[in-house]
Amino acid sequence: MIGLGHYLTVAAILFAIGACGIFINRKNVIIILMSIELMLLAVNINLVAFSQFLGDLVGQVFAFMVLTVAAAEAAIGLAILVTFFRNRGDIAVDDANLMKN
Amino acid sequence: MTFAGIAFWAFAISTVTFGLLVILARNPVHSVLCLITTFISVAGLFVLMGAEYLAFLLIIVYVGAVAVLFLFVVMMLDVDFAELKSGFAEYLPYGVIVGVVLLVNIGLVVAAWQLPTDPQLAQPYLTGAEMTANLEGPNNAEALGMVLYTDYIHYFQIAGMVLLVAMIGAIILTFRERKGIKKQNPGDQAARKREDAVEVVSVQTGKGI
Amino acid sequence: MQLGDNISFAFPEIWLAISAMALLMIGVFIDSKYHRFISFGAIFSIFVALFLVNFGTASENASLFNGAFVTDGFGQFSKSVIYVAAIFAIILSDRFMERERLARFEYPVLILLSVLGMSLMVASTDLISVYMGIELQSLALYILATFNRDSRRSTEAGLKYFVLGALSSGLMLYGMSLIYGFTGATTFEAIAAGADEANRIGLIFGMVFLISGLSFKVSAAPFHMWTPDVYEGSPTPVTAFFAAAPKFAAMAIFARVLVEAFPAATDALSDWQQVIVLVSILSMVVGAFSAIAQKNIKRLMAYSSIGHMGYALMGLAAGTSQGISSVLVYMTIYLIMTIGTFACILMMRRPEGMAENISDLSGLSQTRPGLAIMFSALMFSLAGIPIFLGFFAKLYVFMAAVNAGLFVLVVVGALSSVIATYYYLRVVKIIWMDEPAPEFERDAGPGVKGVAILSTVLIVAGIVVIMPFLNIAAEAAAATLF
Repeated sequence: MIGLGHYLTVAAILFAIGACGIFINRKNVIIILMSIELMLLAVNINLVAFSQFLGDLVGQVFAFMVLTVAAAEAAIGLAILVTFFRNRGDIAVDDANLMKN
Repeated sequence: MTFAGIAFWAFAISTVTFGLLVILARNPVHSVLCLITTFISVAGLFVLMGAEYLAFLLIIVYVGAVAVLFLFVVMMLDVDFAELKSGFAEYLPYGVIVGVVLLVNIGLVVAAWQLPTDPQLAQPYLTGAEMTANLEGPNNAEALGMVLYTDYIHYFQIAGMVLLVAMIGAIILTFRERKGIKKQNPGDQAARKREDAVEVVSVQTGKGI
Repeated sequence: MQLGDNISFAFPEIWLAISAMALLMIGVFIDSKYHRFISFGAIFSIFVALFLVNFGTASENASLFNGAFVTDGFGQFSKSVIYVAAIFAIILSDRFMERERLARFEYPVLILLSVLGMSLMVASTDLISVYMGIELQSLALYILATFNRDSRRSTEAGLKYFVLGALSSGLMLYGMSLIYGFTGATTFEAIAAGADEANRIGLIFGMVFLISGLSFKVSAAPFHMWTPDVYEGSPTPVTAFFAAAPKFAAMAIFARVLVEAFPAATDALSDWQQVIVLVSILSMVVGAFSAIAQKNIKRLMAYSSIGHMGYALMGLAAGTSQGISSVLVYMTIYLIMTIGTFACILMMRRPEGMAENISDLSGLSQTRPGLAIMFSALMFSLAGIPIFLGFFAKLYVFMAAVNAGLFVLVVVGALSSVIATYYYLRVVKIIWMDEPAPEFERDAGPGVKGVAILSTVLIVAGIVVIMPFLNIAAEAAAATLF
């Protein structure tokens, strides 16, 4: 029988993958943005799973809002990335050290 | 094992596998494609949990729009991706450590979950077994629709403002007005009258205009 | 049915939303060269919102939309401070944006929208509306940081801010989902009621994730990495805005979440108190030590703000009504100081462009005595030297922490305050002792000068002018949370 624990585990693994992805792809912003999407997706699995097992609709409304805001966030993130690329000609944040002491 | 069980394992395994491939793939185009597959698998999990509306939202909005936006940007930015991968091995240990620590911690929490003794439910709704027993009750999309514009109108309005900000942002950051480009003006086109464009001349035979 | 709620309680927010959209439409359809008019329009509409918050129905206590939005003394105080800070930020940006050819009508509109986000955020008693409010203000701020889109530094600042901001939102959301799962509720009241021994571990976990996300928003260590780069890279008036209103809003919602959702009555206080003490100590130490080596005045201000957030969190760690009131007093005074300092930084302009290095200030006392006096007074106040307003801010949080028995925190705070004094005084020494550098231009504009003079007067004479009033207001506001 598939219980709540199974879903939460999938979400936890996906969240960890997202966090890990941000660390190992330090140079590649576009993968970082995708990792953030993965983390938010994990949050949504959590919310929907809790909503289902509590028998409460609020979790799904929350997930709905997270989906909306995450889409807006992705749009702004990509817009900022495009302007960054226009100014520098690459997208490596790690080399972005114009401002270090 | 029931069909639902098999479906869960299939979707769960593909979620995790393609999730991993998103961050490990060498080519960002492959990463985006894996992201799309992850979205679809998670949509499958949502359906299994009875959240059909969110599942289809995920497919239509995320697979249909957000992932395609990612794909556009990857294709548009002409970047040497092989070079970007150079620091990969260097950071891999840190990343793995972060991931594992996080996972172990969360694992402890997940194992500890039990139904809250007195959950303060705001919007009770039918779950699995109850739903099959009561087919006349509102389905998932209806149930969401009934609260979204009434009890949760506040969030709905804020979401609207968030999307407005995203729109303004995308426009001011990336839109550049270029001079000297021939453009259509739909207003002018629609306002154009027959008299402005066509002149009816009665030409006599053999004379020309 | 919540549609029957009396929405007149939400008039300030509704007004802000409508006026933001109206100003946007004016800019788009009438003439995009009206940015001046739109700036004035934005200032006017925030003034009206300020009036509505304090004198309309919105000044009464009410709870709307299933507890997603409340009006109470705490929200009223926070909103008033946020609105005033936003007005000053718009005034500061006027001349600068024209000079740098950044004057676009979207700028005041985005500030309005982010003020709307902050306003909704401090008025929320529900996790979902906290998240929505935070995202509304952050998304607007990401765009403002990148506003100078042809500058490499500005886009880099925006990108770093965005990536780390989105990461922190992710952490915060994961925490919220755990809190929801373990208590079955998203409103603060129900979370407090739903907490019991059985779900303690999960709740603590969710809370730690939530605290990490919020610490990022107030730029407390160890989540401070973005601050120096974003402060330095963003256009200076945007930095002035960043340093003021959003910090206050984030600190206010920080206090509200912890006090209302995890009240002392459910034993949760001792759990979050430890975390906040740790974050506070780290911030004070990082703020004190990292600032010493800085050469850029904006980076200096960034580290200074990290340190100051540490002190403000000290009041929060106390967890008492006195503690929360000291946080409000501290943050208000910090806003006055930081806005004044940025007004002075905006006057550091040479014909070749903005001067941002601390060494550019050398010998300022000989070239511009007035500016030198203001700068020095602000630095003394930031350092917390007695008779200046900054001293009383520190005094209040120290008193709250002592009364709550947090002696280690007080000792660390006092020591790092001594270290921090060193780098503030170094700036003063450069201004008064060193050989004069070329003079700055004198046409910063009446807005910037006015703001600088006003805040200098306030921090010098504040003990008589605002302290008694501010203290009473903050105590009344904090009392509504308990």
